[in-house]
Amino acid sequence: MAEALILDSEAVNALANPAARSSQTRRAAAILRLAYDKRALVRVPAPVLAEVCRGVRYDSAINHLLNNPGICVAELTRLAAQRAGHMLAKHRLSSAYAVDAFVVATALQFDTAVIATGDPKDIERLAAPFSTIGILAL
Amino acid sequence: MSQPAAKLSVSVPGELADAVRKRVGARGLSGFVARALAHELEREGVGSLLAELEEELGTPSKADMTRARKAWPKR
Repeated sequence: MAEALILDSEAVNALANPAARSSQTRRAAAILRLAYDKRALVRVPAPVLAEVCRGVRYDSAINHLLNNPGICVAELTRLAAQRAGHMLAKHRLSSAYAVDAFVVATALQFDTAVIATGDPKDIERLAAPFSTIGILAL
Repeated sequence: MSQPAAKLSVSVPGELADAVRKRVGARGLSGFVARALAHELEREGVGSLLAELEEELGTPSKADMTRARKAWPKR
């Protein structure tokens, strides 16, 4: 499978609200530029939407981003969900970290992937065993 | 449920057609073309988002591009 850029909730918010988050947005735009140059896919794991969608009144910027044909939501598959559960168990983490684990499990569906995240510490811990995953802290 | 397939008639250079048929065979051609079209549409979408962002924020700095390159794992 291809290379991919995986966006976590901070990356999605940074790209959806560039005026409000300019320094994070600049870093997110740089990794997006690199993904474009590498012809990589851009994916938002479906569980991330639970962290960024806060009601019809607040979701217009997120919906605008997700309506872009290049920013695709990666549905949560049984395999990815089970992998996420195994990661949590291995690291003795509670389900409070489930979305982070889903993000890493989504990255594992590609040959190589970069996760753009505002929360590098937890993602790095979960992704540490996997050389195919890179982390970009926003 | 998958959507019904639409038939497209396209012309491509003969050399390219030969290379694709050699790679995927006649039966795999539709799937290969569908994936390629989907990928190009996605890429155009990312390109348009980048254009919007770069109009608002300017092109990414060298420092941000260097960080991004360092983060990308080697294949």
